Amino acid sequence: MKDKLRKIIDEWLETKKVDGVVGLTEEKENIKPHLFQKGDTSFIALTPKYPLASVMMLLQEHYPEKRFGIIARECDIRAMVELHKREKKIDIERVDIIGIACTKKEVEECACDFPYPHMAEVIVGEKIEIETKNLSVDRLLNMELNERLFFWKYQFDKCMKCYGCRNACPLCICSECVLEDDLWVKGGRIPPPFPLFHLIRAVHTSGRCIGCGECEKACPMDIPLTTLYTLLRNNVKELFDYNAGIELDKEIPLLTTLDETPMKEEG
Amino acid sequence: MNYSNVLTTCPYCGAGCNLYLEVLDGKVVGTLPCKTDIISEGKLCIKGWNAHSFINHPDRLTKPLVKKDGKFHETKWEEALRSVADNLTKIKGKYGPNSIALLSSAKCTNEENYLVQKFARSVIGTNNVDHCARL
Amino acid sequence: MDTNAFKPKVLVFTCNWCSYAGADLAGVSRLQIKPYFRVIRTMCSGRVNPELVLEALAKGADGVLVLGCHLGDCHYITGNHRAIKRMAMLRKLLEHFGISSLRVKLDFVSAGEAQRFQSVVSNFIDGIIALGPNPLK
Repeated sequence: MKDKLRKIIDEWLETKKVDGVVGLTEEKENIKPHLFQKGDTSFIALTPKYPLASVMMLLQEHYPEKRFGIIARECDIRAMVELHKREKKIDIERVDIIGIACTKKEVEECACDFPYPHMAEVIVGEKIEIETKNLSVDRLLNMELNERLFFWKYQFDKCMKCYGCRNACPLCICSECVLEDDLWVKGGRIPPPFPLFHLIRAVHTSGRCIGCGECEKACPMDIPLTTLYTLLRNNVKELFDYNAGIELDKEIPLLTTLDETPMKEEG
Repeated sequence: MNYSNVLTTCPYCGAGCNLYLEVLDGKVVGTLPCKTDIISEGKLCIKGWNAHSFINHPDRLTKPLVKKDGKFHETKWEEALRSVADNLTKIKGKYGPNSIALLSSAKCTNEENYLVQKFARSVIGTNNVDHCARL
Repeated sequence: MDTNAFKPKVLVFTCNWCSYAGADLAGVSRLQIKPYFRVIRTMCSGRVNPELVLEALAKGADGVLVLGCHLGDCHYITGNHRAIKRMAMLRKLLEHFGISSLRVKLDFVSAGEAQRFQSVVSNFIDGIIALGPNPLK
């Protein structure tokens, strides 16, 4: 797979189709995001995955006239589609996507619903068709209300307010984050007062969450954030028939009126 | 077009998590955790996430300053160090060595902190040496 | 009256143009409602951001009722559309979290509907009494 990618990148850079390709490289046994430019012979790496959509957003903001390519997994593509809809933080028309399919092990680990790139100029890798079961979500749905509250209180008491979940999320792009506003999240208390910090974050990411799992990977206390956000994504799908990051032309439900994006069931 | 991620160690505490500084055209713009680091495993604390913020901060001192007539003026290193040495000698002579305290920082290296306590104990002659981690 | 009975604390957000006027009319008409609620007037039900509702629940409110204009009557045209979608998502989130979604409700009361204000608020308070105190307290 890496040889195919090498060929594609070299061809795109040679023919000046793109000015640079965003991907991952290895340097001294560490993997990091990298911008491949013409003549660059750096090693191409694929795992572990990083939130490359944030890197693309930074580059497009800084170099508005350049055209970029990206070696993206489906979650990066979903993030870019969603960012395109929100004030065009990424102009997806100026990005040429090389999609890579996730391996069976990666799909099972992330319990991902859509592991195959859905909009890419060229796709490398085999499509994996397996049923994923999210065990922690099933476990939560089987709990009674007071058990759920106890579970989340136990989990969120571990929080040390590092803002890792917010920093790692590709869709958390607000210049003035509500979680830093002293009005709602008072400073100086660790763990943050239960449950405001996390409920506020959950409400603000509903409709935005694309299911990349970076928040849980960035949490130093291993709080199962993807469990809560998967449930919220399912709710958005049930209520508004909206899959974040999949359809480029579908309007964002929470920002439009009922005539433009009707609600399916009574909330 | 210059974008790169530079691997470095967080300056704040003794854990020594590795992190990447995102450098865009020679300027540090952000921080990314290092997912292959054996210490941090791709996670950072709040100090690590903001480790890049002091580099180009407007409040950061870039030149030695000396106070004259109640206002700070930029000066050269020699004059600033001479001023510090003269004044510390005067204070030590007038009020004794225990009237002077030294405060160090976790962002300094172990060697710099060793020098601070050696300076406090051997040169000034006081035990009043402390560190920002304890405050 | 049993003095040890649970006396809930319900917060009612009313929109300035419709539901607050309806509440006022209910008061002027001397309609009796159980006294366990406080009214906060906002300009529109769409102004009620989810943080307000969550902070109310976190600070000990047993129930939060948001009253807005009927669909099509909003003074700001589409404010109540936003409120409907927001409250729907919020109630689902609270259910996942372990707080009953019956503690938060969005309903519509217009300026002349004093009786409706009385019945909506009374039914809500009865529902909260049946649910019991806020588990976050």
